[in-house]
Amino acid sequence: MILIKCPYCGERDQSEFENGGEAHVIRPKNPESLSDKDWGEYVFYRNNPKGIFYERWVHSHGCKKWFNAVRNTSTDQILKVYKVNEKRPDLSEFQNTLKSPSGEPSVGSGNFAVKK
Amino acid sequence: MSAINNNCQYISKKQVKITFDGKTYQAYEGDTIASALLRNNIRLVGRSFKYHRPRGIYTCGIEEPNALVQIISEHNEPNTRATIKRVYDGMEIASQNRWPSLKYDFGAINNILSPIFSAGFYYKTFMGPKGFWKNLYEPLIRHSAGLGKPPKNFRSKSTHQYHNNDVVIIGAGLSGLAAAKKFINTKYKVLLIEQDSYLGGVLKNSNKVKTINGLTPQEWISETEELILNSKNITVLKNTLVTTYNFTNHLIALEDKFAGKKIDLNKSELTLHKIRTSNTIIANGHIERFISFRNNDLPGVMLASSFEKYIHRYGVVPEKEPIIFTNNSSSLSLLKKLISLGCKPKAYVDSRKKDNIETEIKKILRDSDISFFTDAEIEGCDGNKKVETITIRQGKSFTKLKSSMLCVSGGYNPDIHLFTQSKGLVKWDKNILSFKPDTPFQKTITLGSTSGNYSFKKLCDEINEKLSIFKTKKVSLDINLNVPNKFSIKELWETKKKNNSNWAKSFIDLHNDVTTKDLKQAITEGFDRIEHLKRYTTNSMGTDQGKISSINSLAIVSKMLKKEISEVGTTTYRPPYAPLSFAAIAGRSTYEFYDPERKTSIHSWHLKNNAVFEDVGQWKRPWYFKASENETMHQAVQRESKMLRENAGILDGSTLGKIEIKGRDALEFMNLMYTNAFTKMKPMTSRYAMMLGEDGMIKDDGIICKISDQHFIATTTSSGAPKVLADMEEYLQTEWPHLQVYLNSITEQFSTFNISGPKTREIMMKVFPDIDFSNDAFPFMTFKNFDYKETKIRIMRASFTGELGYEIYIPPKIGLELWEEIFSCGKEYNLIPYGTETMHLLRAEKGYIVIGQETDGTVTPIDLNYNWMIGKNKKDFIGKRSLSRPDTSREDRKQLVGISPINKKDIIEEGQHIVELNELPKKITNPIKYLGHVSSGYHSPNLNHSIGLAMIRGGKNLLGQKFFVTATGKTKNIPVEIVNPVFIDPENKRLTS
Repeated sequence: MILIKCPYCGERDQSEFENGGEAHVIRPKNPESLSDKDWGEYVFYRNNPKGIFYERWVHSHGCKKWFNAVRNTSTDQILKVYKVNEKRPDLSEFQNTLKSPSGEPSVGSGNFAVKK
Repeated sequence: MSAINNNCQYISKKQVKITFDGKTYQAYEGDTIASALLRNNIRLVGRSFKYHRPRGIYTCGIEEPNALVQIISEHNEPNTRATIKRVYDGMEIASQNRWPSLKYDFGAINNILSPIFSAGFYYKTFMGPKGFWKNLYEPLIRHSAGLGKPPKNFRSKSTHQYHNNDVVIIGAGLSGLAAAKKFINTKYKVLLIEQDSYLGGVLKNSNKVKTINGLTPQEWISETEELILNSKNITVLKNTLVTTYNFTNHLIALEDKFAGKKIDLNKSELTLHKIRTSNTIIANGHIERFISFRNNDLPGVMLASSFEKYIHRYGVVPEKEPIIFTNNSSSLSLLKKLISLGCKPKAYVDSRKKDNIETEIKKILRDSDISFFTDAEIEGCDGNKKVETITIRQGKSFTKLKSSMLCVSGGYNPDIHLFTQSKGLVKWDKNILSFKPDTPFQKTITLGSTSGNYSFKKLCDEINEKLSIFKTKKVSLDINLNVPNKFSIKELWETKKKNNSNWAKSFIDLHNDVTTKDLKQAITEGFDRIEHLKRYTTNSMGTDQGKISSINSLAIVSKMLKKEISEVGTTTYRPPYAPLSFAAIAGRSTYEFYDPERKTSIHSWHLKNNAVFEDVGQWKRPWYFKASENETMHQAVQRESKMLRENAGILDGSTLGKIEIKGRDALEFMNLMYTNAFTKMKPMTSRYAMMLGEDGMIKDDGIICKISDQHFIATTTSSGAPKVLADMEEYLQTEWPHLQVYLNSITEQFSTFNISGPKTREIMMKVFPDIDFSNDAFPFMTFKNFDYKETKIRIMRASFTGELGYEIYIPPKIGLELWEEIFSCGKEYNLIPYGTETMHLLRAEKGYIVIGQETDGTVTPIDLNYNWMIGKNKKDFIGKRSLSRPDTSREDRKQLVGISPINKKDIIEEGQHIVELNELPKKITNPIKYLGHVSSGYHSPNLNHSIGLAMIRGGKNLLGQKFFVTATGKTKNIPVEIVNPVFIDPENKRLTS
């Protein structure tokens, strides 16, 4: 259970929030003008990286506000939270953060406990 | 062979009586079950998991793999560790996994058959024939394997408590206490957690430490404890075990409020502490490990430090003349203690070479004239349900000695469980032959033996250095020892057997009956990765999680694979550290507190009128009303349905979700959220509407009332209300923040009654004499607000039954009053109350769909023939673009049709398949072509035969064709005709009458 800092309410337990998947996926302005493939990509395809991920959260058992967060999916650390109308922070901001708890490979689950 | 008592300050002089397997024994207050049994010379306490071998008490703490018992006097609590559970007067205990008795256990035949029960036995053996697993093998295995019997009733027994701290110290032994001392009267908010009922840890379990700062260990503990208790910033939790170390320094600890006391059923016996902390200090010490040798599971074999702990902590010497077997220097303190008590160990067997053994040990053994075997090991032990003889191997010679107990020490493992749960990395240390913490992932500090520091003298520097990040004073610890400060160990995991018999066993996991031979076999069969090997052999998968043996198995496996142990790695340590009951996790969230029950304002009336309730989300809704005691559900529903179509019926629809949508851009917002077009809709009219997902599939439906372009009220399904509101909010906040729209859930603000049937108008006119209900003044799908008894009500002309109908919205405060008024007016028209089941039947007759019954997340409005609901001229709405995707516009999608049996007596069951075959083959070899399924099936009392709604491939073009519907337990199928799904009043005459 991680702690999440709601930009409106402050730090709260994860159980107060719901995750809304990838952030910055904008609904197309003119859906009818999109090809089936492009529309399909918007509806069905999302990134799922191991590492830095821009995602949406909603403080559903609190102020009910949506906001964005940058989370490292490997360490579960939330590196930044920002409001939906704020600019997407640049990836370079997070270059010097911890990549993974145990230095395991960039792909795979990696339950490593022993230091190599 | 008999135990003797030793003076001990932790055990009171007060005697208590306990029973074990029906026999009464004397114990002292403060005893654990294990110490009480040892005091009474009981060595045999249970039978093993798989082979039903006799087992005794192996350890003196949380790591116990064998001595698990059932506490009869605590609602039959199973699998309780005898080594930590404290006794009280009148406690009733029973042994586990034996039948008919502990001494004569029928299941012990498994031990004789053991050569065939090797690793993977179940996987390989119980493969077929079909059905045998479920009906024969599994019940048989469940009877003979397993541990205690589950308690008969679940009971609520815990509360939860939350903490926010700066520092949490886990373990109040020497290191934990010294660390806590650093925080006395500082600004840090500290929580000190100890699993035992006394502080002091190793200091009270042995006499290794002589003095600290010139005080005896007990004096030092008392002094420190008093300082800590007087310090306002430190809280101490005793009898509390930290079980879980999560991300962001979140800890879970379980406190036993009734340790050593009889449970008071009016109080919670457990507290689950949920702790957030900035820093965690782990000082929970070490766990001794065993050595594998032949019959290392016999009752009488015990870990050396546990034997020592029983003397110091519980004042019982389990045996006066045990044999000690060690590969390290730590057993010296036990030897010294025994001699000081006038006991004389039968022999001291040390696997180290004579030159490497401490001179003090050699001197004591010589002075006391104790047989001494150096560079030697235990080959095995023998005896009937207990240790009787012990065989020592020294070089090529074997010596057989008689003794009833064998104390074993295979070295110590830092207790890294919590550290690895926190995702810290461990490293192999060659000096202590174990893994120790290396790189923490969170703000975690390990101290003392947990960190791999086995030197008492270095502890002070370690604490001052590691805790220098806190602005506190330095501690000073001047420690004098009874034992050498330097730890010395020789690698030894398994001793060699004299003969290679199929029945000879050296155990590596006592809890799950895994032998070293099983490890070898698993590797031979290709399970050479440690995580695979663990699951194949079930090694370290018992409730003890292999606390005394898992490192041994890694070492044995690494030797077989000819790899370094750090290459083999450890298996993943997962929470909890030790088992905790579901009741502890559940806390107060049990029974009526688990999930709230929502009741409408009419609930009391429903109860009085014999309603049978159905759960819809959290709501309690009347399912049907019993007219008499013996009326069945089928009879009631048939009666209600018929009466409604003849006269009138009323349904409590208060549970329907209601959302108010207001604001400058409300119209634009509604046009985007729903498929329908609302622009040309007149104010004060309503419309049946659908909400899709972006994938074009139906999510919810409801009636939308338009008050003005700036004000709408939407109804939703009873269980869909929160989700619909949340989805609307999401789009408003994230996609269309420019729209000025406000949403409000008003579900609870109104009681809603749906009254319908041919006599409805007369009833309504009688209840509301001032209102004109004529067709011209009040047409179908319009609504009006009226003054009623100092409040306002809204009445809408709508129907879900297909009959003339009205919906009344009224504040819940006077809801019941109006409901009763309607009944008194409706009496002469035979008005009946009806429930959800009748509602479902009636709407199926009319061909109306129910979300979640006809739809399942893969159905579009086009599949239901609801094209008229789609605002085709609208530029956009959620899901519109997806309706023209190739897959959603396929002709052969499953589409809604009605089905009617050709033989009118046949019953169509919900959920059955629609096929082309009139009869299914006796044995199905090839897949049967499947056309669709029955989504709703009812006996219609108004048509007097079974009807069904079905989703069938390309159904729209199949009208009039004949197919077959499968039936439960039969191979003969039911012939049906595909018909229009609207069975009653397809012209909507009744609706608009």
